[in-house]
Amino acid sequence: MSTASTKPGTVKERAGLALNDEFLRKAVKFTTERLRSGKKAASEEHGNWDDWRERGRQIRLHTIAHLDYYLNLFADNARANGVNVHFAETDVEAVKIALAIAERKQAKSVVKSKSMVTEELHLNHALEKIGVEAIETDLGEYIIQLAGETPSHIIIPAIHKNRYQIADLLSAEAGETLAPDTQILAGFVRKKLREKFLEADIGMTGCNFAIAETGSMVLFENEGNARMVSTVPKTQITLMGMERIIPSFEDLEVMATLLPRSATGQKLTVYMSGITGPRRTEDADGPDEMHIIIVDNGRSNQLGDPEFQELLNCIRCGACLNACPVYRHIGGHAYGGTYSGPIGAVLTPALKKDESQWDDIANASSLCGACYEACPVKIPLHDMLVYLRRRKVESGNGNLLESVGMKGFSTLLGGSKRMRGVIRLGQLGQKLVERDGGIRIKLGPLKGWNTYRVTPSLPKQSFRDRWSTIQKETQAEGATLDPALKARMEAVVAERKQGGGSSHGGHA
Amino acid sequence: MADTHKEWLKELETASKSKQKSFIDSISSKLGRPRPMEKPAHPFRGAPDFWRTFEWSEEERIERFGANFKAAGGHVARLASFDEAKQFIADKAAEMSAKYIIRQGQPELEAMNLEDAMPDARITVWNTDEEENWRARAAEADFGVVVADYAVAYTGSITVVSAANKGRSVSLLPTVLFAIIPVERLKTRLGEALINFDQAGRENLPAGIHFISGPSRSADIENDLTIGVHGPGVVYALFVG
Repeated sequence: MSTASTKPGTVKERAGLALNDEFLRKAVKFTTERLRSGKKAASEEHGNWDDWRERGRQIRLHTIAHLDYYLNLFADNARANGVNVHFAETDVEAVKIALAIAERKQAKSVVKSKSMVTEELHLNHALEKIGVEAIETDLGEYIIQLAGETPSHIIIPAIHKNRYQIADLLSAEAGETLAPDTQILAGFVRKKLREKFLEADIGMTGCNFAIAETGSMVLFENEGNARMVSTVPKTQITLMGMERIIPSFEDLEVMATLLPRSATGQKLTVYMSGITGPRRTEDADGPDEMHIIIVDNGRSNQLGDPEFQELLNCIRCGACLNACPVYRHIGGHAYGGTYSGPIGAVLTPALKKDESQWDDIANASSLCGACYEACPVKIPLHDMLVYLRRRKVESGNGNLLESVGMKGFSTLLGGSKRMRGVIRLGQLGQKLVERDGGIRIKLGPLKGWNTYRVTPSLPKQSFRDRWSTIQKETQAEGATLDPALKARMEAVVAERKQGGGSSHGGHA
Repeated sequence: MADTHKEWLKELETASKSKQKSFIDSISSKLGRPRPMEKPAHPFRGAPDFWRTFEWSEEERIERFGANFKAAGGHVARLASFDEAKQFIADKAAEMSAKYIIRQGQPELEAMNLEDAMPDARITVWNTDEEENWRARAAEADFGVVVADYAVAYTGSITVVSAANKGRSVSLLPTVLFAIIPVERLKTRLGEALINFDQAGRENLPAGIHFISGPSRSADIENDLTIGVHGPGVVYALFVG
């Protein structure tokens, strides 16, 4: 089901595809803006939002700083609850364990609720290879599975499909023509998946949080499909990132306050479920057998790394996607990994140790910091993007052309005389390419920029040309500056010199 | 090769326990210190201090719960007694032509005697026959009737926990859900419900704890809100007392 291998190689190429899809661009903008304003309203209504963010951050920092203690406690408690706990260092190991269970159970079908970890492992593909049907049951995930695609948004995976495309996909599945009406389409899926839930051998879930002190796992969802897959089938398999831990149910109150508000603007998702072990002997539903596979797959590389350890604090809400001007413009598929948006731009390379395998996604950011502002646990993603770029260049995997170009740039512009010469040259040279006051040529160094924009042509008189005139004008104005205003401005400057501005970048 | 499934699971457990040691040790080494054996001090446990004393009056709790629950697409009614709740459900059954009802085996519902008010409906009680496929019975039900264990005003949530006489399917599979909430179980904050599970401790927790904050919903098709995608599409919160 992964289409990643057939995708063009670089973010620029993939974004080119995304940008040419008018509907995707509009849909992504519409959804992200809706989610973003929902989050804003919900966090404002709740009040003291920064206190809650700080509390959430502290709980995550504490847990990750003692991850060995808490993960061990969780595993022991889950086992005491009757859960079969497994540890997987790599994606290959995790898949191997899941397949072994499916084979042992002679499973014909697996019903799945949304799990980013299983996307990371390409587990559906692996299950299909051994002849097990893997059915995504989240409405959006089901749609994109039928389309043979991957999610483009962490919260709304089928954000890029319109109702006509969806009606076509579902009609093919139904064997009859379904009207492109949301209620009709959802009604078909409800009926179809009901049968699948009841006949499936295995239910597979992700895990939003795992509670160390009780060995419980917690799921947040709106549709009820995660409850279905953890209630109806006889066997449950949960895939869990090793960092999903929180100490207690008390701590869950903070996460339950931050996660739904940040993701969709809800006070709480329709369902929040805490599952503690398989069905008790006297119970009449719930799985007879429960497995939890704890997955590392590159996560532990961040431990002990002062620049990236906080990445493990992420609670997968998607708020940074909705806040990101780049994501809103190019959509999720352009990131080319399991995780998109700012978190994906950092997480995807961070999960890979080898810098030479790093993509160019860390460059798909304007470093504006909107992701940090939106993050409910205050992860400094914009700083991390800079660290990534630096590491890639330091490891000798930077863009060679860029380095040469920058060197040339500094030679050319390093002296004022040469700068003046270059501008003159440009003013003359642009006559060859200028049209309607802009430069649209997509050649040489302007190719990337001009693909989506128009470079303004150089004015006849540059800022440097005008500088001496401007300087004279401002000096004349300066003489008539109100003395009181001048004193105030000087005071501000003096204050700044005494180490003000410490309120800046307050995530330390 | 293991002979029985149990033996196979035992083999996995042995492998898992040895893997656990190396897995956790590797975390400790990456964190650059020995593994802590004592519980670490956790000064930021739970909600911020200012939040813990926050409480609404009973009237305000009911009002706020109602506003939140309705905003999520749910229905709310306040009734004087379980008898009134019984009549309410019977009236709705007549109105919606509900024929098949499944209810929990909770003592409050035994005493309410829904069967009495609805002689024409088929009413089954969860887990009263070992041979029955209870998941299938819940899946075909028009109405599911449960008594809530807690409710939370601030988020508009109903809490139900599983037990032998309380099926997880009863609040999930029927088309319409009725949750009866004795007023004294309605709390202000989420934390007031959650703290009970910490206090109960691992050994005493039920397999399923579910917070339900309205009808099942999705916005996955063009952001158009769809109700009743997988879980109940109509949910009634009935306050009693």
